[in-house]
Amino acid sequence: MVNPHLPLAPETTTRTLSEGEALRVERLSISFGGLRAVDDLSFAVRKKEIFGLIGPNGAGKTTVFNCITQFYRPDEGSVFFSVWKNGTEEVVNLVGKPVHSIIGLGLVRTFQNVEVIQELSLLENVLIGAHIDFKATILEQAFKLPRARREERSFQKKAEEALTFLGIADRKNLPAGGQPYGVLKKVELARTLMANPRLIILDEPAAGLNDNETQDLVSIIRQIRDAYDCTILLVEHDMRLVMGVCDRICAISFGKFLACDVPEEIKRNKLVQEAYLGEEEA
Amino acid sequence: MNERNDSSLANAKPALWKNPYLGFILFGLLISTLPLFAGWGLMKNSTLNYIGSVLVYTVAALGLNLLLGYAGLISLGTAGFMGLGSYIAAYVTKDMGMSFWAAAAAAVLIPTLIGLLIGLVSLRIEGIYLAIATLCVSEILLKSFEQADSITGGMQGKSVSYPVIFGHTFNRSTTYLLLVVVLTLVMILTHNFVNGHKGRALHAMRGSEVAAQAMGVNLLQYRLIAFSLATAYSALSGVLYVFFVKFSYPSVWNLTLSLLVLAAVVIGGLRSIYGTVVGAFVVWAVPDLILKNIPVLGRINGLPYIFNGILIILVVMFAPQGISGLWQAKFARKKKERENGKEAE
Repeated sequence: MVNPHLPLAPETTTRTLSEGEALRVERLSISFGGLRAVDDLSFAVRKKEIFGLIGPNGAGKTTVFNCITQFYRPDEGSVFFSVWKNGTEEVVNLVGKPVHSIIGLGLVRTFQNVEVIQELSLLENVLIGAHIDFKATILEQAFKLPRARREERSFQKKAEEALTFLGIADRKNLPAGGQPYGVLKKVELARTLMANPRLIILDEPAAGLNDNETQDLVSIIRQIRDAYDCTILLVEHDMRLVMGVCDRICAISFGKFLACDVPEEIKRNKLVQEAYLGEEEA
Repeated sequence: MNERNDSSLANAKPALWKNPYLGFILFGLLISTLPLFAGWGLMKNSTLNYIGSVLVYTVAALGLNLLLGYAGLISLGTAGFMGLGSYIAAYVTKDMGMSFWAAAAAAVLIPTLIGLLIGLVSLRIEGIYLAIATLCVSEILLKSFEQADSITGGMQGKSVSYPVIFGHTFNRSTTYLLLVVVLTLVMILTHNFVNGHKGRALHAMRGSEVAAQAMGVNLLQYRLIAFSLATAYSALSGVLYVFFVKFSYPSVWNLTLSLLVLAAVVIGGLRSIYGTVVGAFVVWAVPDLILKNIPVLGRINGLPYIFNGILIILVVMFAPQGISGLWQAKFARKKKERENGKEAE
């Protein structure tokens, strides 16, 4: 495809991350059939920022998330992400990496429709978040050799801390099946915390929550950012939450970039207003 | 012996509920006393044979439960791998004259490796297609058993003697005890495995593939782990079979056996170790030991199949979590009643 803005091949990754950026989505595009779900989209998330991605229904927000976390392979574009490797910071391009390797780089996500394991207890669900940090082999585990026991103990402690942090530790041994939606959302959050994330991606964290729970969520998201020292990228429909919690917001419509700014400016932005409310009648 | 058990039980009461091994060991001790009854003439020797083979099949069913219950994958190849294990064990001890341990190791490792290779090819597909692929493998193995006369004895089958372990020649009762020990060990190891992080990864894979991937579970790797484990359990079950029954015929390792193993898992309850044991007893012991003795009805041809078929329908319709599910539901209800009672106060 001829791209008028970018004369060089995208492989020349000279523009990766600027100072202070945690994640940069660069000229990202993906099509399904004839539909261009994400169209030449670029934005950057700064470190320790709570960054919102908004847009009307079908704008392609979740698709962007899936392209970042490699559930989808974007047709074009790059996703640059800052990782810690042996004590130094390094920039990697996530595109093309296996889905299951993403968490190891410090990028964890939640899902729009909570994806928890019904048959497991809340604690066990949270422990799945530490999966990649378990080193014991099958035999060590089957015979409960010291390393397997030690790991299980220490990660259980960590999971309990995460559950306590989110205020649902009293339910830790109950099966996830049958728990209220709000609790399961928190379980997903706790699960992401197990992986020592550098960036957490939240896909509609307030969907299905009532007003009180949404208010709680604002402070929870801030607390997570501060206590776990990480960056947060979220997609959300609930405008009160987005405007209340986000440091900066990127608005998209039909897969295209509209604006990226602080919440007050986004509210005032004509393009964003049109995208949400339809064009003003002449 | 009984007295000592009782007193230790009383002393260890709080720990009994905490330590899961104790349950398995008690279970093992309980079923290991059965040959005594046979020795006293309280139980027919044939009954002991039936129960022994149920224990053998339970090992294979536990393997399938790992695959189906935890990983959510289905296999109809159980019987083929059981047969393979049994023939290798027979060949290594009888034709090659090697020890029981060498036979057991070869008979578990070789099928597991073959299973791994088949898994690498077939685990990219799921659901019914995987069932068909494993069924094909099983049928190919079955045909091979019939044709490879020099190794398997063809249609005549292959006979072995009771195992010789550490210079001690086993007889039927001691071989039965060997089955009990192996089954108990397998139950404990399975328990540890499914409650550890790899077991949780299987859970995650079944419950939500996207969540599993997002949490770093490599789907193909964990499907392979589950599939190889199920194969290893099947092969081990075949080894136990051939040393207990002392014979291996091709006609044993057919689709019916694979389906019965599946039935045991479903009826007993997915993801339940004790449930699998109960399921195996229901599927294999109940028709042979109880139904056959019912007048008139017991003489119907194919009664076990009718019985198991009806049971599967009932379980699928009314108790999708199997017998263990019914038990747990009752337990959960009682607990809830207790908690409600507490809250009311």
